[in-house]
Amino acid sequence: MKKLLTATTLCLSALCSMASLAAEGDVGVAAAMDDRYCSTCHGVEGIGNIAIEAPRLAGIEAWYLKRQLENFRAGIRGTHGEDTQGIAMRPMAAKLSDESIADIVAWVGDWEYVPAKVTVEGNVNQGRTAFQTCAACHGVNAQGNEALGAPALAGQNDWYLLAQLRNFRADFRGSHREDTYGSQMVTMSKTLRDDQAVINVVSYINTLQ
Amino acid sequence: MTNPVSRREFLNLLGAYGGTSTVLQAGAALGFMPSSQAAEIALQANNGKKVAILGTGISALTTAWELTKAGYDCTVLEASHRPGGRMFTVRSGTVIDEIGNYQRCEWDNDPHLYFNAGAARIPSIHSNVLKYCKELEVELQVFVNESKTAWVQDDAINGGKPVRNTDYSSSMQGFISEMLSKALGDSHLDSSLTESESETLLSMLRSFGDLNEDMLYKGSTRAGYGTGGFLDHGTTKDVIALRDLLKTQLARNVMVTTQEGTGSGPLLMQPVGGMDRIIYAFANRLGNRIKFRSPVTEVMVKDDGVEVAYEQNGVTEVLKADYCFNCIPSHLMSGIPNNFPAEYSEALNYIRRGKAYKAAFQAKERFWEKEGIYGGISWVNAPTQQIWYPPHNIHGKKGVVLAAYNFGGANYTEMSQEDRIEDLLKHGEKVHPNYREMAEKPITVAWHRMNHMLGCAPRWARNRGGWSDKEEQMYETLRQPVNGRHYLIGDQSTQHSAWMESAIQSAHYALADLDQRVRSEPA
Ligand SMILES: Cc1cc2nc3c(=O)[nH]c(=O)nc-3n(C[C@H](O)[C@H](O)[C@H](O)COP(=O)(O)OP(=O)(O)OC[C@H]3O[C@@H](n4cnc5c(N)ncnc54)[C@H](O)[C@@H]3O)c2cc1C
Ligand code: HEC
Ligand code: HEC
Repeated sequence: MKKLLTATTLCLSALCSMASLAAEGDVGVAAAMDDRYCSTCHGVEGIGNIAIEAPRLAGIEAWYLKRQLENFRAGIRGTHGEDTQGIAMRPMAAKLSDESIADIVAWVGDWEYVPAKVTVEGNVNQGRTAFQTCAACHGVNAQGNEALGAPALAGQNDWYLLAQLRNFRADFRGSHREDTYGSQMVTMSKTLRDDQAVINVVSYINTLQ
Repeated sequence: MTNPVSRREFLNLLGAYGGTSTVLQAGAALGFMPSSQAAEIALQANNGKKVAILGTGISALTTAWELTKAGYDCTVLEASHRPGGRMFTVRSGTVIDEIGNYQRCEWDNDPHLYFNAGAARIPSIHSNVLKYCKELEVELQVFVNESKTAWVQDDAINGGKPVRNTDYSSSMQGFISEMLSKALGDSHLDSSLTESESETLLSMLRSFGDLNEDMLYKGSTRAGYGTGGFLDHGTTKDVIALRDLLKTQLARNVMVTTQEGTGSGPLLMQPVGGMDRIIYAFANRLGNRIKFRSPVTEVMVKDDGVEVAYEQNGVTEVLKADYCFNCIPSHLMSGIPNNFPAEYSEALNYIRRGKAYKAAFQAKERFWEKEGIYGGISWVNAPTQQIWYPPHNIHGKKGVVLAAYNFGGANYTEMSQEDRIEDLLKHGEKVHPNYREMAEKPITVAWHRMNHMLGCAPRWARNRGGWSDKEEQMYETLRQPVNGRHYLIGDQSTQHSAWMESAIQSAHYALADLDQRVRSEPA
C-alpha cells in the first residue's frame, strides 16, 4: 500500500525531482522528496498528535476520510477564519487529485489502529444521558453509521472530539452553505447545554469501544 | 511634572541599596562577558558501544561527532532528505520542503547567492559554535547586523517615507541625552552624585547625544551632512522632532540591535557560503553513519538499551543501541509511539512550537549599494518587519535580499505563496521604490509548515514573568535520561531556545552525563 502511494500519489511531479546536492559534499544526495507528509502532522501511522492538534487517522472509515479530504479541498471545511486547525489542514488537501485521494484512502486503510489515550475526564453518567441523542446517528456504541454519514467517534482522540464539538457549537465548522453533513452536526452540538456537557459526553464516548 | 525622578528612585538607579559602590561589587561577574566558555570535551575512549542519534540538528551532529571521535559506533537517523533541521541554506537548486507549499530555488548558480532560512548569525559570545567552526575548518566572515544608513519605515512617520537609521537614532540619542542632563540639573539628583561623577556623566551625555554648549540637541552631523562635509564645511540635517520619533513602535528595534548579550551585537559572524557549511562540515565527516529519508517511527527504552524503529524505502527497520540521543522536536515526538514515563511525556507535550517566517529574493542589481547601504537591517512597521542586505560580495553583480523576517510568524503560514510574495513586495517598495522591479524569484519559508520541523523556537514559559516552578521541574525531568539510556537534546532542552549555541551545549550536557555513566560501569 505504501508503495502505491509513493508511486502515484503525493509524488506531485515537482516533488519527485531533487536538486543535486553535490556541492554540499557526499551526503545529502537523496533521490526524491519525502512523500509521507500526512504523518509528519498526524503521527506515525496516523496515531494522532496532540501537540499539532492533528487527530488520529488510523481506523477512520474510508467513506468519511474521502468526504473530509474532498471537503477540505473544496473549501467546505477549513475556511472559517476562526477555525485555526481546519485552516492548518486545508492546504494539505488543496492540491490532491481524485486519484490521490483514492490512494490516500487505501494507504490510511492499511494503518494499524492503536487505541487513543484518554485525556478528557468529565461526568460519565451525565455524558451517557446526553449521548442518547447522538446515538441516533453515530450508533449506540459510537461506531458510526455510513447510511447517515455520521462517523465513528469511539476510539478517536478525545481532545479532537472536544475541539470539534466546540467548533460546531461556535459555527467554526459546519457553517459553510454546502456543508450538508456538517450543518446537521451544528444543530446537534447545540443540544449540549454548555462546555461541561461537551466534556461529559466526550468522557462517555471514551468508555465505548 | 516638576520632579520626574524621586531621589530614592535615582539612588536605586545608582545601585544603592547599600551605597554607591554596590554596582561594581555585585557586578563581580562583569568581566565574564563571554558567558559560555567553549567546552573541553574529553570523553573516555570507548570500544564500539552502539549509539542511535535521532535527527541531524546541530545538537545531534555535535553528539555524533564527539562520540565518533571517542570510538563509539554511531548511527544517525534523519527523516528528511537533508541534514541540519533549522540550519537551512537556500541556494540554486535547493528544494524547500514546506508541506503544501513545495518550492525549488532557481536563483543563479553563484556561491554568493544564498539565503539562510533558519539560523543566520553567530554572536562573538557563542564560543562553542565558534569552536566547532574552527575545529572543522568552516571559514567565517563578519556579518553586519546594523547599518546606520539602512532605513526605518513606518507609515506613521515622515509621511510614510523611509528615514535613515542614523537620522532616527542620532535624534533619539540627542533627546535622551538632553532630557537626562536636564534631570541632572535637578537639585535632588545632583546632590546624590559627587562633583566628579556629575562631570563624567555630563560629558558622556554631551558626547552620546552630540549636545551643544547649552546641553541641547540641535542636530548632529553624525547623521551625515545636509550639504558639504568634505571640500566645504558640512551643515547638519533637519532634526526629527522627539514627538515624531515616538510615533513609531520601531523605536525599540532600531535602538537595540547593538547589544551583545542576547546575541544581536553589531558584529556577528556567518560562515562563508551559508550556515549549512557547518552542518555539512559535520555531516561529511560522519559520512554514511547518517541515514537520510529514514524517519523514526518508534522509540522503546529497554533495561539494557534503546530500540529505535525507522522506515527506509517503505520498510521498517529496528536499530538496537546501548544509548540514544534524540533531537526530534518534542511536538513531533508526541506523534511517535514510545514508552517514555508519563512524567517525561507530559513535559515533552508541554513545550509549544513557536512560529517564524523568512522570505528572500535574488536582486537583479545591488540596488541598496546605490543608496549607500552595505549591510545591516532596515526596520519596517509591517509584518515583514525586516530587510537584510548581504554584507558579502560588495559591488558584485547580484545579491540575495532577506525580504521578511517575522519571529512569531504573523499570519504568513496561512497565506498562499502568491499572497506572501505580494505582501513582501508591497511593503518593500515603501522602502526602496524599485524593489518590485529588482526582485527575482522570491522564496518563502514558514517554519510552522516545514516538513519534519513544523515549528521554530521551542517555547517553554507560558507567562511573560518567566519560568514557573512547574516548568523548571518539567525541564529537569527532561534533562534526566530515561532509564539512563535516552537523552533528549536540542535547544528544546535548554532555557534559551532558538540558538545554535544552546543546542550544542545541550549535547555537551548529555555527553558529560553519558561519559560519567560509562566510566562508572564495572569493567
Ligand atoms: C528562522 C530562524 C532563525 C534562527 N536564527 C538563529 C541565529 O541567527 N543564530 C543561532 O544561533 N540560531 C538561530 N536559530 C536557532 C537554531 O537554528 C536552532 O536553535 C538549532 O539549529 C536547533 O538545533 P537542534 O539540534 O535543536 O535541532 P533541529 O534543527 O530542531 O533539528 C531537528 C531534526 O530532527 C529531524 N526529525 C524530525 N522528525 C524526525 C523523525 N521522525 N525521525 C528522524 N529525524 C526527525 C529533523 O528533520 C531535523 O533534522 C534560528 C532558527 C530559526 C528557525
Ligand atoms: C500541517 C499539518 C497537517 C498535515 C501535513 C496534514 N494534516 Fe490532516 N489535519 C491537520 C489538523 C491540525 C487537523 C484538525 C483539523 C480540525 O481540527 O478541524 C487535520 C484534520 C484532518 C482530517 C479530519 C479528520 C476527522 O476526523 O474529521 C483528515 C481526514 C485529515 N486531516 C487527513 C490528512 C491527510 C490524508 C493528510 C496527508 C495528505 C493530512 N491530513 C496532512 C493537520 C495536518
Ligand atoms: C442527525 C445525525 C447526527 C446526530 C444526532 C449527531 N451527529 Fe455528530 N455528526 C453527524 C454527521 C453527519 C457528522 C459528519 C460531519 C461532516 O461530515 O463534516 C458528525 C460529526 C461529528 C463529530 C466530528 C467527528 C470527526 O471525526 O470530525 C463529532 C465529534 C460528533 N459528530 C459528535 C456528536 C455528538 C456528541 C452528538 C450528540 C450530542 C452528535 N454528534 C449527534 C451527524 C450527527
